[in-house]
Amino acid sequence: MKRQIPVLLVFVFGVFMIFQYFSPHEYSEWIYKFLMDWIYIIGIFAMALGIWSLIHVSYDKIKNKRHDWGYSVVTLAALFIMMFFGITGFDENGEWGFYFMTQEGLTNPMFRNFFNHILVPIETTMFSLLAFFISSAAYRAFRARNVLATMLLVSALVVMLRFNPYFGEAVGLYMNKIAAWLLNVPNMAAKRAILIGIGLGMVGTALKVVLGIERGYMGKG
Amino acid sequence: MKKTTLIIMAGVTVLFLLSWIIKALALEGMQEDYIKKAFLVTFSAFLTLSILSFLYRDNPFYKFAEHLFVGVSAAFWMSMGFWSTIVGNLIPRLSQNLSVFFKVHYIPGDFNFRFYIPVILGLLLLMRLSRNYGWISRWSLAFIVGTTAGLNFIRYLRSDFIKQISATFVPLLVDWQGTGHFFSNLDLSASGQLVMMLANWTIFLGVMSGIIYFFFSKEHTGMFGRASRFGIWVLMITFGASFGYTVMGRISLLVGRITFLFRDWLGFNI
Amino acid sequence: MRYILIIFSLILITFSAVIGQVDPVVTDSLAPVPAPPAPVTEVAVSDKANDHGHALIIEWKRSLDDGAGSNAVMLYEIFRSEFPDSAFKMVGSVPLGNERFEDIGTIEKESRDYIPDNTNLYYRVDAVTIDPVVRTSSEVYGPVQSYSNWFHKGRVPVLTAVLIFGALMVYFVSVARKGTELYVRPLAGIAAVDDAIGRATEMGRPILYILGLGTADMISTIASFTILSRVAKQVAEYQTELIVPCYDPIVMTVAQEVVKSSYLDAGHPDNYKEDSVFYITTNQFAYVAAVNGIMLRDLPATNVYMGKFYAESLILAETGAVAGSIQIAGTDEVGQLPFFIVACDYTLIGEELYAASAYLGREPIMLGSLKAQDYAKAAVIVLMILGLLAINVHLNAFIEIFKVVD
Repeated sequence: MKRQIPVLLVFVFGVFMIFQYFSPHEYSEWIYKFLMDWIYIIGIFAMALGIWSLIHVSYDKIKNKRHDWGYSVVTLAALFIMMFFGITGFDENGEWGFYFMTQEGLTNPMFRNFFNHILVPIETTMFSLLAFFISSAAYRAFRARNVLATMLLVSALVVMLRFNPYFGEAVGLYMNKIAAWLLNVPNMAAKRAILIGIGLGMVGTALKVVLGIERGYMGKG
Repeated sequence: MKKTTLIIMAGVTVLFLLSWIIKALALEGMQEDYIKKAFLVTFSAFLTLSILSFLYRDNPFYKFAEHLFVGVSAAFWMSMGFWSTIVGNLIPRLSQNLSVFFKVHYIPGDFNFRFYIPVILGLLLLMRLSRNYGWISRWSLAFIVGTTAGLNFIRYLRSDFIKQISATFVPLLVDWQGTGHFFSNLDLSASGQLVMMLANWTIFLGVMSGIIYFFFSKEHTGMFGRASRFGIWVLMITFGASFGYTVMGRISLLVGRITFLFRDWLGFNI
Repeated sequence: MRYILIIFSLILITFSAVIGQVDPVVTDSLAPVPAPPAPVTEVAVSDKANDHGHALIIEWKRSLDDGAGSNAVMLYEIFRSEFPDSAFKMVGSVPLGNERFEDIGTIEKESRDYIPDNTNLYYRVDAVTIDPVVRTSSEVYGPVQSYSNWFHKGRVPVLTAVLIFGALMVYFVSVARKGTELYVRPLAGIAAVDDAIGRATEMGRPILYILGLGTADMISTIASFTILSRVAKQVAEYQTELIVPCYDPIVMTVAQEVVKSSYLDAGHPDNYKEDSVFYITTNQFAYVAAVNGIMLRDLPATNVYMGKFYAESLILAETGAVAGSIQIAGTDEVGQLPFFIVACDYTLIGEELYAASAYLGREPIMLGSLKAQDYAKAAVIVLMILGLLAINVHLNAFIEIFKVVD
């Protein structure tokens, strides 16, 4: 009961999805659309589980006064305040209430402030950290002392320095040409080899899942 | 908390307040709500610097920004999901009364009952929180995993497998009509025949040896080993090229953030 | 009175006759009335193949006055009716020069564009001149019916691949079940996982397992779950701490289930802590910020990254490298592989991620599926060589086999 029903469900729906690809029939398309809607809706219910876990872990930290518990207060406060602004707002009569989704999106001005002045700056700054990390990663590659890492580094350097003006026009020109060739030709070959491998790996894993051979996702490997 | 930490925190707070006042004075007369606007810009700058401070090492400012970010983003995602999916798509099909309450248009339909099924599956998923009936949530998971495994099985078989194979059917020999610009000015991007053949051979050998590298059930020795070795070389050269290619893009992201700090916050005309 | 009426009528008739004579001269000087064009011929209507029904294809031979003759045809209008002689409704038009129209309807009965399936339909095509009134209708074609197809003929290559691959898989799994020893070559990244867990135990530090940004239905995430279950089992045996921060709530739910039953399998169900697998947030960089924090504060001995990764891969892997952890990564996201290769100690490239779950388990059934994948790869190489030969000797029929209709 605990294991057979899920395996059966996986098999039935998995086989149906394979079948529907080959069958353009109205009925198979109709069921396909249902199933896609369903996955989407179930995902929304999972949100509750996620938020519950976040609250639970933070609360636990605060209650037991674990190291850095004060920051968990910040997380919980931010979560509740943002949720409050996220589900309340002004309605069309300018009255505050449990409603505010309109054509323009979420209209609560505080929600927008949180979005524009907390979410956006932190998000873009986190993203921009990549500039530093890619430099330190390049340095790490420099120190590598084996053939493979050297090959990686040399081709990275060729591509990185392709617009460098200090090599003089002639060298720069050829570097640019070689970089373009590297990005077009061997790149395509390697990507294709990887994609064929990935395709097979995915297909193999998916088939194992549908046939109930692979059950790792249910907690039984 | 250490004394130095407290001093630094106090110093940063004072600097933040000062910056707020100066920004407010600068905006006065130019914008309405200048005190609030000055606060928001200063706060954004504070958060930006807090995150950047991580590059030096972990510190209370980064921890604050990180925890704030986690809380706000989780709530943001939850609110958006609630309004767009539950209120926007589900409620109009489930109940007229709820539709009225949320001020959305009720969509009547013969098959609306079908939307109760995912709701039930969703509720089953929530059974995870129960100690004794948590296993029921596997039914919903099984539904999702089964459906998408079947879908992905076909999708990858078609796009990553069959299409990639047929794309590798390239002409290795062409009716010879000269080398093109290859020798005269080493033009690799020219459409000369030598270059085209070189590219096609590289693609063919690269794909073949790449696939050989991914063979698991045969030892990589002898001829097979050499092919696999060549395969990993091609992979590494490619990874290097795409690494080098990404560097410039990443640096431009940083430029964007620095522009914010200097222009929007500090008011430099750059 | 009667005479007056007769005389008045006569005057009126004479007058209108005069005007009538003048009239044509006036209109002539304004614009010529085009002569009706020649009709389209050989109208043929057929059901659109490989579809969900409610669609037909109309083909015809263009009018003699299209691009030739009097050059009068401007467009063709297509009409449909459920009766052979009346109630024709225009369903579309195409400019001159065309000889084909796809009448694609909706499946919703309420819609204006609904085309009923399995119902007799009649079509005609009008050749229309610049003056929409001046037109010539073709002969009515019909009856014809549209219908739904149960099988998409353009997808035979995919079906063949499914059957061959499925057969290979079933064969090798059954061979493996019988106990035949199957060889797989050693993979550095896999051996590293075992060592890394041992190292973490010795150092008394936790192991951080990152499932990536994928959702629970992505195959790479499913492969990662399987690897997680092995790692968790060993962690339970060694009694090391495991930290699994999650990006997606469903992934978290599954990961909890996976870790919990691994602890059970290892015989240490009491050591399982519900909070070792937890949710952070579904925002890429907020997740990264929090995981970075964990790396620097909890100082895990080993970081394992398996699954789907995007731009955050480099931030995570570099922070982990700075923190001095042993790092093992595996992803099928080609764009992120270079960053993992540079910043991690071991990286499973593409398919190796999928192979890893089979390797770690050493279960014969899983190894059987690896064997099937290898045979499929051998088939790919053979097909590629045949394809190359075919294209070089211009044998296009072979290449056509691989055409998949979307």
